[in-house]
Amino acid sequence: MENHTINPATYTLGDKGAQLKRNMTFVGVLALAISAYFGFAEGDDLRRFFHTYLLGYSFVLSIALGSIFFVMIQHITGSFWSASVRRVAETVMAQFPLVLIMGLPLLYPLLSHAGQDEFGGLLWPWLHPHGDHAALIEGKHAFLNVGFFMIRQVFYFAVWMATAHWFNKKSVEQDNSGDDVSPTFAMRKVAAPAIILFALTLTAASFDLLMSLDPAWFSTIFGVYYFSGCVIAIFAFLAIVMNWLQDHDLMVGVFNKEHYHDLGKFLFAFVFFWGYIAFSQFMLLWYADIPEETGWYLLRQTEPWTNVSWALLLITFVIPFLGLLSRHVKRSRKTLKFWAWYMLAAHWLDLYYIIMPQFTKAPHGVETMIDGKMQTIPIAEPGTALPIGAMEVLVPVALFCLFVAGVARTAAKRPLLCKNDPLLPKCLGFHNI
Amino acid sequence: MTHQTELHGILAEYETVDGIMHAAEQVRDRGFKHWDCHTPFPVHGLDDAMDVKPTILPWIVLVGGFTGLIAGMVMQWWMNAVDYPYVISGKPDWSIPANIPVAFETTVLFSAFATLFGMFILNKLPQWYNPLFRKERFARATSDRFFVVIEAQDAQFDTTKTAEFLAATGATAVELVEVPDEPTSPPFGFKAVAAIMTALVLLPPAMIAASRTSTTEETRFHLVPNMDFQQKFKAQTAPLGLENHPLFANGTATLKPIEGTIAQGELAKADPTNALYSGLKYGKPVTKFPKGVVIDDAALENGREQYNIYCATCHGDSGKGDGMVARRAASIGQTWMITNLLDERIAKQKPGKVFETITKGINTMPGYAAQVSATDRWDIILYLKALQKAQAAK
Repeated sequence: MENHTINPATYTLGDKGAQLKRNMTFVGVLALAISAYFGFAEGDDLRRFFHTYLLGYSFVLSIALGSIFFVMIQHITGSFWSASVRRVAETVMAQFPLVLIMGLPLLYPLLSHAGQDEFGGLLWPWLHPHGDHAALIEGKHAFLNVGFFMIRQVFYFAVWMATAHWFNKKSVEQDNSGDDVSPTFAMRKVAAPAIILFALTLTAASFDLLMSLDPAWFSTIFGVYYFSGCVIAIFAFLAIVMNWLQDHDLMVGVFNKEHYHDLGKFLFAFVFFWGYIAFSQFMLLWYADIPEETGWYLLRQTEPWTNVSWALLLITFVIPFLGLLSRHVKRSRKTLKFWAWYMLAAHWLDLYYIIMPQFTKAPHGVETMIDGKMQTIPIAEPGTALPIGAMEVLVPVALFCLFVAGVARTAAKRPLLCKNDPLLPKCLGFHNI
Repeated sequence: MTHQTELHGILAEYETVDGIMHAAEQVRDRGFKHWDCHTPFPVHGLDDAMDVKPTILPWIVLVGGFTGLIAGMVMQWWMNAVDYPYVISGKPDWSIPANIPVAFETTVLFSAFATLFGMFILNKLPQWYNPLFRKERFARATSDRFFVVIEAQDAQFDTTKTAEFLAATGATAVELVEVPDEPTSPPFGFKAVAAIMTALVLLPPAMIAASRTSTTEETRFHLVPNMDFQQKFKAQTAPLGLENHPLFANGTATLKPIEGTIAQGELAKADPTNALYSGLKYGKPVTKFPKGVVIDDAALENGREQYNIYCATCHGDSGKGDGMVARRAASIGQTWMITNLLDERIAKQKPGKVFETITKGINTMPGYAAQVSATDRWDIILYLKALQKAQAAK
């Protein structure tokens, strides 16, 4: 077998991991401290701080969720091209306990009464229903209440952590089990039911965390929308990690341009998938033009959000679609690295577009003359400035750095390669036609 | 070979992947241009060994895709905004979001066509046949043998030298491939069938074109007669073949209501002394608003609103007969006579008479009983009286 010839030094992170972990923790804590200072030092900015915190949190959560999808789908399809990158994805998957800890600060807006009269709470307006839609939101109380919300989060994390833990355990077991491939077969069997649970929990979690920022609005495709972002995030993240490892003389020879090409193809495909889903959501609501459904988009298509909507279309879809179209771009690890960082930034913009407009929405709507009648519409107060500053960037960067530190910590403990995976020899000889 | 035949090329057979890889590299290094490899499955690295240039097919597909995108957009723009402007769901005539799904599909369709036909063209397909197919040995190219063919049209080609060269590359067999001494064009039968098929394919569009430009006295051709002429009861006519059916005397499936029948809940409307629903009392228009009509500010305001919705489009906001319809007619050079409601003739009319007009319609004006409730109709008359009074004020 070819893999017996792989030098263990190729897949041992060792000190480089400890260094990366130290640096990332330092940057992460510093950035978080600075942004928390902005948030807490001036009382008015607390609400904004938690919106940006949710932005950072859903950003790292999407990478972690993407890794579950990645690992499951490789097992279900029995694909061999990915055998040499799967361990990295599994390492990302092992970060769910860390993500759970990162979620704890969100308990503050959940339990606090701050801002309840003016905005209905610091983050999710359903916490303390107010304004025109109060009665409507009260009607959703059976689902949208603090107790049940927390129970659901615990359930999601139980599912994700159990999945991540079990797949990591089995995968490491395969490393040392010689010719016995039963751990791999066990993973294949479990992956199919696990991905169903994953789909349901991801959908519900996206409803809870992001869609309920506008509790009067609903979209059944919203879970798929967030999922498409998760998949973009994981493929971009994997391309970046493999690049970093190879820059540090690791994983050389086990991951070549053929494998980058496949990562790139998936990244490209899911850029289009994102566009397809985002447009599907938009078009049905736009075409039916029913006020209770269009409010979410109305907010985003009025000032100060008009340009952000256009930017989202261009930056997350049109530009990367054309940029990633070429085969040569995907096969060169340097250009793919550029587009991977680009897509992570674009994914940040996507989440920014989902979350931050809700921060600027006028709590009681804005009175506007439409068709000769005064109507209250759910848009930002005229003259509102675009909330883009240190916090919107620093908080996601902080959580991302801490997340990377967590990945480095786990990665240093074990081989970076599923070194005994039965599909590895085939993976190493893999060629795109 | 007993007589001189034209040579197509030389075929060399190899038993292993390594064998053909080596051979391909040597043929490449010799500088041959017109040659090819035939393998039962894709051999990785063979493209490099043969020094095959990357295909330009992706560029053809890109052009195809963009053409599809633009064609889809232009098609919808022309159909919806130019040739047949039609308001759908209150959207603009040319509405890009609504056009994207179709433009997306045409992009995919044109890309797929560009891929398929581009591949055909680049591979010089369709070809009637290839001389290699005449070689029995070559059949194994689809199961377990690998072949190199150097074509005679190559500048470096020399029958003896090239054959020796190929034998030296480790070929298990080297064979000359002649252009067969047999007709290369398709047989006559094939051509005849193709001609007939083409004619048949053109027939339906020709028939459609003919019937679109001509008229006929004959009844149309019934493709499915028992669907067009069904034996069933119809509400108001005697059905075909069932004229003498004993269901009802006249062969229809329903009977007219008995004279004087009143529908449920309509009793008040049938009362000849109650003018509320007809504006008539014993058949004559009432001179005053009937009992049951509340006259107050709210009624007047409601009358204004209903008037502006139903009446103002023709009669105009002030009742002068200068509504949108009249103005539109004038703008396209037509005359559309719309009554000036402030005219003395109308101002003098009894409320019952106006009510009857609104209810049943008059001349080209349709009745509004279906859209406007009786109360609203009285409110409209109230507002109309106010308009007329305001006009008459000095």
